[in-house]
Order: sequence, then structure tokens, then C-alpha cells
Amino acid sequence: MIKHIENPILEIHDLTVSYDQSPVLWNVDFSLPAGKLIGILGPNGAGKSTLIKAIMGLIQPSSGYVKIFDQDLDNVRNKISYVPQRESVDWNFPASVLDVVLMGTYGKLGLFKRPGKKEKELALSCLEKVGMTAYVHRQISELSGGQQQRVFIARALAQEADLYLMDEPFAGVDMNTETAIFNLLQEMSQSGKTVIVVHHDIYSAVNYFDWFIMLNLHLVASGPKNEVVTEELLRKTYGGKLNLLSKVSELIRQKEFNPLKD
Amino acid sequence: MEDFLYFFSFQDASIAFVVLGITLLGIGSAFVGTFSFLDNKALLGDAISHAILPGICLGFMLAGEKNPFFIVGGAIASGGLATYLTSWLKDNTKLSEDSIIAVVLSVFFGVGIVFLTIIQKSGNPEMAGLNQFIFGNAIGIVERDLWIYGGLSLGIIGVLVFMLKEFQLLVFNPDFGKALGLPMHQIRLVFNILIILAVVIGIQAIGVVLMAALLITPGAAARFWTDRLKTLLVLAAVFAIISGIFGTYVSYTLPQMPTGPWVVVILSFIALLSFLFAPKKGILYRFFHRKKYIDKTQRDHVLKSVYKAEELGRHALSFEELTQLYPNQKKSINKSIKELEREGQLFINQNLIKLTKPGKMEAKRIVRLHRLWELYLNEYMNIAPDHVHESAEKLEHLLTPELEALLENRLNYPRLDPHQETIPRDHDDI
Repeated sequence: MIKHIENPILEIHDLTVSYDQSPVLWNVDFSLPAGKLIGILGPNGAGKSTLIKAIMGLIQPSSGYVKIFDQDLDNVRNKISYVPQRESVDWNFPASVLDVVLMGTYGKLGLFKRPGKKEKELALSCLEKVGMTAYVHRQISELSGGQQQRVFIARALAQEADLYLMDEPFAGVDMNTETAIFNLLQEMSQSGKTVIVVHHDIYSAVNYFDWFIMLNLHLVASGPKNEVVTEELLRKTYGGKLNLLSKVSELIRQKEFNPLKD
Repeated sequence: MEDFLYFFSFQDASIAFVVLGITLLGIGSAFVGTFSFLDNKALLGDAISHAILPGICLGFMLAGEKNPFFIVGGAIASGGLATYLTSWLKDNTKLSEDSIIAVVLSVFFGVGIVFLTIIQKSGNPEMAGLNQFIFGNAIGIVERDLWIYGGLSLGIIGVLVFMLKEFQLLVFNPDFGKALGLPMHQIRLVFNILIILAVVIGIQAIGVVLMAALLITPGAAARFWTDRLKTLLVLAAVFAIISGIFGTYVSYTLPQMPTGPWVVVILSFIALLSFLFAPKKGILYRFFHRKKYIDKTQRDHVLKSVYKAEELGRHALSFEELTQLYPNQKKSINKSIKELEREGQLFINQNLIKLTKPGKMEAKRIVRLHRLWELYLNEYMNIAPDHVHESAEKLEHLLTPELEALLENRLNYPRLDPHQETIPRDHDDI
């Protein structure tokens, strides 16, 4: 069940992504509507983060392309905001909460320009939205997991984008933070922003999102909640790794070269 | 002493040159080194510093003399080659980064030593100065060198200050930088060039073997003192300057002494002091902090013991009775009792120990926390009453008034703990 859209905000065309040759995403092809809260679901190792990274241009796909706002990524970077996985950075880095949130403004600032008063005010207002005003000058290593996640989301807000891609923003956060983040995401989508979230828990996902992308090495489904959240599709997504695909991946990995490269 | 005054009054222009040179060099290498330390790439600096030796020798052979342009040019070239080779091997083989660095370092240094031996055999009268590049001799800096090394240092400092925001992003979260559309690949390239230059500027003063220490140690030592990037950079620079100037002074007073090893000795000393004495992260601070906490827990226990005796209807406890409760800690218990008397929590009459009014309040608070926590463990975590004491014995010293209020609230202001003992409140009778 893959529902395509006219004038999509994001279009993925026949995307195949490999790590060290072996493909982790096979021929993914879908399009997404604007202004929705979209969840990417799938078991561990299904390629959820890989998909986000490929959309952000952090990994070169083996084949296929991504179009955002009907343009190439590099033309519209200013309109896209990214929340990487919390574990992907070293939180012992000597920086304050404000320093990290200010990084969100670096894209619009461009090279060599320092953040000024305007950027600082923006960063503070973003921290207010995630309820972290009390921690502005706190050293980031002293934060709890949920607080670190809020800081990352504030940084993404500071990018002032129209499309948000978030990699596991609910991983390792307490219940309070989860609700607070979810309310914020809902507010954002109501004001016309598109938010795409990698999520691992199907039970809460059903309440959170109004559009779903289901992955398990390949695209199982993409469509509105009432059409794709069915027992059959969920079983296809979570029902163990696809044996045959994994075997083919393994076969390719053992080759001395990448046979999928054009 | 005379030497000391002569050196530090800078009346000798050549000394002033050297000190200026070593200061600029210290700031430059400390800035670059702090970033590569934060980037967990400390070893790369070491590899590069060893890898520039063949370049220095080739530069010397081409020029036929100790011409700084040739030598710096050769050093940059072979440092660049080593850096490129390291990242090429990492991308195209399955070797781990540390084995690659070890191989590159030893191969380049080995080739350098071979070249050095060839030059020594050639009998070129200029070659005597070349040995200085291994362990460094700051006193050998002349005006012409200062223009080159000082100029390069200023360049490094300038680029780093100018691109602080970019390098911060490069070290903390390069993927995010890429997602923002910043050219992270090029920024990484600029940073690698800075590391090479930072090593090259030190070859005359510190020498290739020890230059890695001047890169990494200042930042590592400064990290003990601060959590702020800008303070960290300034502090690292100060450490580098202090050790640089002192190493130069030793080379000045004892002409046979190379500068590099002395700089490293001073730097290591500063690092050791930081490790021991820095607030919060230093080990002495942590030791005393812990000791203070343990003393406090013992005083809490003494108060508790006297209070419990009162609960059983006694009016006071004797010294012997109290120390008998802690047979292994007689000495420290006596100390705790004295301390508590001084604080006005205990009242000692001849041999008898009684709680004063504030002492009783405090004792009640500790006992209350203990019993509230026991009850909480029992009711909310289903832990058997005979298993709750140990945990409560530790947490009674830690729980804050906010948590106390929360516990009271959750448990609905209970009267008894799981062992049917009364939970004491401030306005009870006993």
C-alpha cells in the first residue's frame, strides 16, 4: 500500500542506499504531503535512520534521487531542519545549552559570520518553546537524556525551516518530555510545517502520527493512518527481517567490488 | 639570578625575539591542539610531527644550507603527504585508525632518520644545526626565522579565531553542519592544514619528536579547569606560553640543553597540577569532597543513636555506650561527638551526651528521612521490610527537602514505618 501524492513536499524516487556495498534500503519510492505529522516505523536495522540521512544528503545513495519542494536538496537546505540521533555526538564537548541551540542559526548565517543579538534572541525563544529556559547557560554534559533531546529540538527550531526531519527524538526520554515534544510537534504541523519523525514504538506511534512510512529494508507502506495501519501491513513490517533480502545483501557484501554501482 | 634578570628583562633584542616567537608558537599550537584533542584526534598530531622529518631533510639537501623557506616548505609537503595518506588508507582499507597512524608515523620517521644520516655522512658544515630539529633549540631562533615561524603562528591564530564557529561545529557535530549546507569537507581540510602548520612552526623551537606534546597537553590540562570553549582556549594558550618561555630560559642558561624536553617537562607538571588540584574534576578535590561527605554521615549517625536512645526512654548516652555502637571507629566517633558539641547539636555533661534543641530537630529529620524511605521502598517497590534498611541508611544523608515533601505527599503523611516505628515530626513530643 503506497499512496502517491500530487505536488508532494518530498519525493523519493527509486532510492537504493548501501553501506560498504551491502544495500540497507532497496528501491524506496514514495511521496509525502505537506503539513502532516509523519512517522517512519520499522524494526531495528530496517533502515529508518539511513533513509533520513539519505534525504539529508549525509549518505550518497547507490541509485535514485530525492526531491524536496520539487527541487534538489542543495537549493532548499534553508527550508529543512534536521535532528540527528542524540547518541551521535559527544555530550562532554565544552559548550552551553545556548551554544548548541545557536548552531541552528549557522546555516542562515553562512560561513565566517558570528551569531549576534538577533540569533541569540531566536535561540532563547526556541529554548522557551521546549521548556528549557532555566538551563540556558548549563553545561551540556550536565543535562539528562530528555533535556539533551529538547536542546536538539530547540536547535532544529532555530533553523526556522518548513520541513523537519527528526531521528528518534523520543529515544531514551521520560514520559513528561515525550508528551511535551509531541505537543510541540503537533503545534508545528498545525501551523503548516511538515514533520517527519523516526519512531520505534508502534503503540504510541498510532496516537502520534497522521501519516506513516513503514520500512523493513524496503518500503512496506506509505499513506494516511486509516489506510496503512492494518494488521497485515504491520506484520509485514515487523514480522522478522526479510530472509531473502538479507541473504542477497550478504552475497553482495562478500564481493570485492560494488556490483550495484552504475 | 643574574641570568634570570637578564633573560626576563628582555634587554637583549635576540632574547625578546625568541620569547615573542615562542609565545606566538605556544598560542598557535595550543589553539589547534585543543580542537584536535576535543576531536579525539590527539594521535594525528603526533603522526604529523614525526612525519615532517623527511621533508625537513629534503629541504636541507635541496637548499644545501639551513634555509627556513626550504625547510618549512619540505616539512609542510611531507606533513601534508602523511595526512593525506592517513585519510586515504582509512577510506580504502579496513585497517583501524590507530594502526594506520602507527604505520605512517614510523615509516616517515624512519625515512627521515635515513636522510639525516646521509646528510651527516656528506660532511656539510651546515648540518650541525639540523640535529636541533629533533629536540628543538629555541635559542637558535634568529630574526629571519621569527618572520616565518611567527608569521605562520599569527596566520594560524587568525584563521582559528575567524572560523571558531565552523571548527566548533566540525568537532561537535559535523553531520549537522553538513545538513545545514556548510562545506564541512573543506572546513576539515582547512583544519588539517592548520594541524600541519602548527607542527611545522614548532620544529625549530621544540623539535619534531616532542611537538605533539605542545599540541595536546595544554588543551588536555586546561580541560580540568573549565567547561567553556573560549576559556579553554585561553587557558591552554597560557599553559603553552608559560612552558615555552621556561623551556627557552633553560636552553639559554644551559646552552647544551635542548628546549623541547624542558617544555614538555613543564607542561607535564602543569598537567599533573591540574589533575590533582583542579576544582570538581581534580582528584584531590574529589577526595576531600568524599571525605567531607563521609564525616557528615558519621555525625548524622551519632545524632541518630542518641535520638534512638531517647526514643527508648533514656535521657542521655554515655561516651562508652555510644562508642560501643561503632566498635571499629572509636577515634572518629569521638571526633564527631566533639564536632557536634562545637556546632551546638550535642550537650556534654561530664560523661553524658544529650541532644540540644537544634540537635534534636536535625536527628528527627534524619530518622524521618530514613523511615520515610523505608516505607516508600516497602509500599511502592514491594521490597520486604527486612531488606529496606541498607538503602535507607545511605539515602537518609542525601534526600533533599523537596524529595522529603514529595515522599510525605505520596505516602500521605504516614505515622509508622514498615517496622512499626514512629516517623518523627518536628512538633511531636519526644
